[in-house]
Amino acid sequence: MSSLLAFLLLQQDQPFIKRFEPTLVHFLMLSFLLFVVGVAGVLSRRNIIIIFMSIELILNAVNLNLVAFSRYFQINQEVLRAKGLVIDSLMGPVFTIFIIVVAAAEAAVGLGIVIAMFRNRETVAIDEIDMLKW
Amino acid sequence: MQLHGWEAVIFYVLAIGTLFMGVYVVTARLAVHSALCLIATLVNVALLFILLRSEFVAGVQILVYVGGVMVLFLFVIMLVQTRAEEEDKVKLYTRQMWPAVTVAFLLAISFFFAMQPAQMAYRPSQSQTEAEKKGDDPGVRSESGAGLKVSTDTESVGEALYRQAALPFEIASLLLLVAIVGAVLLARGSKQEKLYE
Amino acid sequence: MLKLVWLIPVLPLVGFLINFLLGKKLKLSEKAVSTVACGTILLSLLLTIGAFYEYATSYAPAHENKPYVTSNDPDTGERQGFPHSFTWLPGGQAHNSQGKDAGALSNFDIEWSYQIDQLSLVMMFIVTFVGFWIHVFATGYMHGDKGFYRFFAYLNLFMFMMLLLVMGSNFLIMFIGWEGVGLCSYLLIGYYFDRQEAGDASKKAFIVNRVGDFGFALAIMGVFAAFGTLQFTELAQLSEAYPQEAMWQFGLMSWLALGLFIGATGKSAQIPLYIWLPDAMAGPTPVSALIHAATMVTAGVFMVTRTNFIFQRSVTMMMIVALVGCLTAFVAATIGITQTDIKKVLAYSTVSQLGYMFLGCGVGAFVAGIFHVFTHAFFKALLFLGSGSVIHGLHHEQEMPRMGGLAKYMPTTYKTMMIGWLAICGIIPFAGFWSKDEILWKTFSTEVFGGGKVLWAIGFITAGMTAFYMTRLMWMTFKGEERFRKVHHDSHDDHHGPVEPHESPPSMTLPLIVLAIGSAVVGLIGMSPAITGGVNINWFEHWLDPVIAKVGEAGAHAEHHIEPIEYVLILLSLAVAIGGIYLGRLFYEKRTELADIWAAKLRPLYTLSFNKWYWDWLLDVKGVEAGKAANDALWKVDAVVVDGGVNGSAWLTRIGAAVSGWWDKWVIDLAVNATGWIARAGSVIFRAIQTGAWQNYALLFTFGLFIIVFLYERTVIYSTIKNLWGMIRGSGN
Repeated sequence: MSSLLAFLLLQQDQPFIKRFEPTLVHFLMLSFLLFVVGVAGVLSRRNIIIIFMSIELILNAVNLNLVAFSRYFQINQEVLRAKGLVIDSLMGPVFTIFIIVVAAAEAAVGLGIVIAMFRNRETVAIDEIDMLKW
Repeated sequence: MQLHGWEAVIFYVLAIGTLFMGVYVVTARLAVHSALCLIATLVNVALLFILLRSEFVAGVQILVYVGGVMVLFLFVIMLVQTRAEEEDKVKLYTRQMWPAVTVAFLLAISFFFAMQPAQMAYRPSQSQTEAEKKGDDPGVRSESGAGLKVSTDTESVGEALYRQAALPFEIASLLLLVAIVGAVLLARGSKQEKLYE
Repeated sequence: MLKLVWLIPVLPLVGFLINFLLGKKLKLSEKAVSTVACGTILLSLLLTIGAFYEYATSYAPAHENKPYVTSNDPDTGERQGFPHSFTWLPGGQAHNSQGKDAGALSNFDIEWSYQIDQLSLVMMFIVTFVGFWIHVFATGYMHGDKGFYRFFAYLNLFMFMMLLLVMGSNFLIMFIGWEGVGLCSYLLIGYYFDRQEAGDASKKAFIVNRVGDFGFALAIMGVFAAFGTLQFTELAQLSEAYPQEAMWQFGLMSWLALGLFIGATGKSAQIPLYIWLPDAMAGPTPVSALIHAATMVTAGVFMVTRTNFIFQRSVTMMMIVALVGCLTAFVAATIGITQTDIKKVLAYSTVSQLGYMFLGCGVGAFVAGIFHVFTHAFFKALLFLGSGSVIHGLHHEQEMPRMGGLAKYMPTTYKTMMIGWLAICGIIPFAGFWSKDEILWKTFSTEVFGGGKVLWAIGFITAGMTAFYMTRLMWMTFKGEERFRKVHHDSHDDHHGPVEPHESPPSMTLPLIVLAIGSAVVGLIGMSPAITGGVNINWFEHWLDPVIAKVGEAGAHAEHHIEPIEYVLILLSLAVAIGGIYLGRLFYEKRTELADIWAAKLRPLYTLSFNKWYWDWLLDVKGVEAGKAANDALWKVDAVVVDGGVNGSAWLTRIGAAVSGWWDKWVIDLAVNATGWIARAGSVIFRAIQTGAWQNYALLFTFGLFIIVFLYERTVIYSTIKNLWGMIRGSGN
């Protein structure tokens, strides 16, 4: 199992301790795991509010991804320019801000819907609302 | 990009905290607990942003998410929480929980596999690591006198927001307005409706 | 006046709208309602006469008897604007799919336009003239009725639709009129909607007509597909490219003609669809006179004549038309002999006369057919209105055995009906003689197909029977014992006391007189040259001649040759008419017991006729039973085969579900749970997938994402697994 972990995670040409120093890939993996946790929550929970929170988790995973890449492009500006790539690293944070804005709007409207739903149906359980058929 | 020393340790602490809190958000029995854990997750992510030299985004994250959205969440939980949930009488998961977890697991595995080529592509080059060691960070600018190093993040993000993303920024304000109106419209009760009509 | 033809149908529509929309709201008096209704029709009649005059005197001579189509300005050839015509259905361009020009591009823009030619002018005149007098009659007949405004609104709507039918310059406008008159017929038959039989009869009429309309609609689509246009004038030209299809040769033209003729049998009450017309007598009598005698039921004859360029190109269909017409005439006449309801007798008589018209069309004498439509409209409207007058005078008594001896109470009705009677019996010089004799002669001498003499013989016998049953009707109603005094003591309307018959008011007798004069003289415009000694003063035939296409050998010599045999035939048909009248008087005046004696002697025939040849029973009872049996059979097929298949597959999938459930439970719990949806989808495939819970959809969504990532990274995954396997093997060693 340890060989699997080493195979998956680490660069074998680095000194041992260096292999554990977080790089972009580690951030991306964290982001993926957060994303997957959020997806699992969205798919399996019954409480609609917790589903909303899981969606926030997913959005945060994406944000983390964007910011990590932004940072990577920022640091490697010179290297990438040498390869002919000019990437505006600031678009990452800007996008992140927009995602936060949209998430706020979505939360406001979505929670409004939750309240309306709760008022009409006395429940916040998602599997009791199966009117999306026929 | 490579974090060294304490930064690496902090990263692992934050990453593990984020993941555990995230898992608890998804598995908590009470919505209040998961909301609190979500706050913790969000704070952790904000700290990760700082680690990535994106202080402005981290601030926005704390202000908007923790300060705004999560308060909203807590209010709604307060409004719709039922006694049955507290007394552990309700099912927490839908019937498709295990399929969902399985699919999520498969997805995670496949992402890990997908990372494998990226691992090679995005590994830091020798020159880069050396530049980092020297403290040659493009996101940091030396303030004149006292040898202070100041992050240029807020400055540059603000510039980018108002130069390149001005129109989307304005549209975002419109979106927020619409969301406010929509939320009010959706959430008001029949009594209030009668009152206004 | 030709510029104003667009007003002719619009005026009755205006009348309809006024009466229908405002009649109840403004509580219009009967006077106002009838003024609006009759006034609009009168205006239409005047406009029709004006158009007739202008067309005959100035337009036709200047334009080689070509039709005046409002969509084409006669002088410039361009289309005229609203309201004369407008593009009603802009269909754009398409390819013809059938016929000679299959694949050719044609323009399917349907114009709303009217065609004024000899044929439509004749029909317009019939509709507006007879219609106007029937409207006048109805003001008296419907006096005091609750739904007075409604009745006149429907009548006006009917006039609008009928005028559209006869004036339309293409099939679709004709079809609107066709369906519209069917609708009005339905509404007016069921006018007394509180009576069970009226409701049933209206439904029957509507449903039976649907059968015919189905054929008509198919034929229209066929014409559309074959010619790429529905304009009659263009169709007449385009069809010239098609040769006449000989006997038993059933090509495109025959199929089109078949569809059209099915439509005609429905609307004009021919075998096998005639059953609705006698039942339609449940409507008010003016309706019977207007719709079910004079105008609507002749729409089929009109349509066949209008499309004669199609019919004439199919000898087989011509024969079928003639045969159906002839048989209908005969069968209906035999039924008419034994009916006792005065309106039923007239209804069967109408069916019989319509049969004559189709016989005429079938043997190629379209002009004679239309001529019979023309004369029949007068005398049958007269007879119906007369019967209406009788029914009115006797307080809604319709059974002839409860009448008798009415002549002295209702002298005007009696005298006018006598003229109608003479006309329908075919006594020279009344209207019916000329047209019926023309049809019989054309049948006898037809060259379209062989066997005309057989058809003539049947028609000849039918003429005798017609004279017999009409005489029976007249004598049972107006002569002999006053039976109505006896029956009314024990009948339902005791509160009247013994009914004292009375003559109808002038508003009802005036139309009778006008129509009686018409019945007496209108035949003179179509006098056969044989009578006039070779001088061809058959104005009617001369007038309609441009409408009839000249097809094949029979069309080539359409000249009227006078042959000696014609005189013999004329004498024979006069003789058979007089014989029928004599027999009728013998049975119902001199020796009234004879009727029962002969009925007893000919018991089987009598029952057959009295029960309308069991055709109703066959269609209504047996037909419905057969339909039910067919449904049962289909249901069985459904139950055994289809349900079996469904159940079998359900059973199979249930087994499959059980197997996979077992797999699920015991083999690889976790992994199969992930694909649990497959098992569910397998059991009741589509329903299971659509759960309505969006989380299921989202799960599928995520699974799809996994599949995509998996496919994208499959080489990496394979090589990794391979390496892992190698490592495990290596460490094992």
